[in-house]
Amino acid sequence: MTVLTPDYRRELEIRKYPYPVYVLVPLAALVLQAWLPRLLGRFAYMDLPLLVTIYFALGRRNPIHGTLLGAGLGMMQDGLTQGAIGIHGIANTVCGFLSASIGIRVVVENHTIRTVLTFGFSLLASSIAYFVTKGLLGLHLDWNWLDELLKAAGNSLIGLGLFPLLDRTQVRD
Amino acid sequence: MESIFGRYRNLIVLVAALLVQVIGLAVQVRKPVASLPASAQMAIRNESGGQDAQSVRLIRLWAADLVTPAERIIHGTTEGAANLWNGYLDLRHTREQNRELQQTVDRLRLEQASLLEDARQGQRLQALNKFQESYIYKTISAQVIGTSGSTQSDVIYLDKGAADGLKPDMAVITGDGIVGKVRDVFDHSAQVLMINDQTSGAGVVLETTRIRGILRGNAAGQPQVINILNDSRIQPGEHVLTAGGDQIFPRGLPVGVVEKVVRDTERGSFINVIVKPAANLQHLDEVLVITALDAQLSPEQQADVNLSEQLKGAEVAAEAERKRSAAEMAERLPGLTDPNTPAAANPNTPGAPGASGATPAGVTPAALLPVPKPIPVKHPDRYSPGGVAEAPPASAPPAEPPVASPIGRTTPKPSSAAKPAPKAGAGAKPPVKRGRDLSQ
Repeated sequence: MTVLTPDYRRELEIRKYPYPVYVLVPLAALVLQAWLPRLLGRFAYMDLPLLVTIYFALGRRNPIHGTLLGAGLGMMQDGLTQGAIGIHGIANTVCGFLSASIGIRVVVENHTIRTVLTFGFSLLASSIAYFVTKGLLGLHLDWNWLDELLKAAGNSLIGLGLFPLLDRTQVRD
Repeated sequence: MESIFGRYRNLIVLVAALLVQVIGLAVQVRKPVASLPASAQMAIRNESGGQDAQSVRLIRLWAADLVTPAERIIHGTTEGAANLWNGYLDLRHTREQNRELQQTVDRLRLEQASLLEDARQGQRLQALNKFQESYIYKTISAQVIGTSGSTQSDVIYLDKGAADGLKPDMAVITGDGIVGKVRDVFDHSAQVLMINDQTSGAGVVLETTRIRGILRGNAAGQPQVINILNDSRIQPGEHVLTAGGDQIFPRGLPVGVVEKVVRDTERGSFINVIVKPAANLQHLDEVLVITALDAQLSPEQQADVNLSEQLKGAEVAAEAERKRSAAEMAERLPGLTDPNTPAAANPNTPGAPGASGATPAGVTPAALLPVPKPIPVKHPDRYSPGGVAEAPPASAPPAEPPVASPIGRTTPKPSSAAKPAPKAGAGAKPPVKRGRDLSQ
């Protein structure tokens, strides 16, 4: 249990990053998310903006920051599609808020916990996007849940390698 | 009041962010009201579905401006590295390929000059018949620099935009088949909605059965023709072409081939025809945007046609004259040619595969006339040209049995001990055969 709950002051501290990281990492996530499918085609099972949202929300432990970052990145993602703006935005907003809220209660340095959280939040984001598309917008679009499952798995794998790299950029007191 | 905001500020910010986006969604997808007149419904549809509202377009513009410059840099860097390798390092067999390509260009110029007059005549006839047909006369090539990044949205971004003459609803194709249509145009980039997206639509026709339908994507990213009544004539492998009725794609462009036919799960009497696209939609590098369908050639095309006519016009005229003379001779001397002989069997026959396509310039048509060949004799005798030679002297060893020549004429196989017969030897001049007289 001590592994899962933050008993140390060090684990409760809010992580800080250099300002360029806050700008460049989300931008790189957006660019790569739009560019990599050119190489991978339909096998681009990943959602890098969502991954960045989860990472910063977990690390910063600030629900407002997670909410706004998720909303911004999600709306930028929607801006690149032909669909309505807000589908990814709402999904990432909720995921950012929940990630930050959970980050307060669990130890986010543990790779297993982060991987499981990433997988769960990816599925949650897909579910919210499905609900918004079908329920709120009433669009008759087919949904391939196998793709969403593979995307969640891909996000978990990428997070496993990406999160330690981003950990190195944080500012230590 | 302040304490409530301080206590629930996280939730308040979350609700506010969600509320703003939900209201934004509601504004974007306003549906036409049934009680409204048709003109008002059309106006709302155009405002909500066809073209984005100003605020939505602003967000799309920001997203595109944020992402496309970086994509352009990445694309340029990778292209530059590939060009460095292909253009300066990996140059094996380049000279051979260059020579082959030059020969291909010569051949194509000859064909172009030959076909040009036929094409002009066809267009004149179509104009006389008021035949409504669209031709692709002007295209702009563009590089694919990015995608939407979403599996629910099959959209690509091009490195050309309004500054290059692109406009919404222009057709995007490759040499293999159609790709999609331009949806949104920015200054230096454009968004293309591909045919395998679920919100796209293109009018298509099945080539053999002539069944028409609407092409759009499914959840797996495959284009499919929907709303077709169950028809057993539709078989895998049938070609699918654009129908031309959507005012975007010209008629007759290849779309793909039928991959399989699946039953519509919601409506049992309908089927969906899954199409394997002719263009490789997953790995697009360069595409063509059709910018003009007017019946006039672009300056580049006109210059190319003029060059072909200038270079190859004389050869085409000589070739046509040669064919005409050969046809006249064949008509006057019917016995010289065997009507049962296939054209492919004689490489000297004009038009046969294996015959040299290009004739040297300046050669007179008479010199190019085909050499008359005698009809093969079924039962050769001593009077048949090239048939059984005169009886050899008794001292000489008997000649070996005759073998058939490639043209069907029987010739004796020369023996090493005996001299060849003077009338049928290789150096002897073959007698000219005159029609039916010698063959009977």
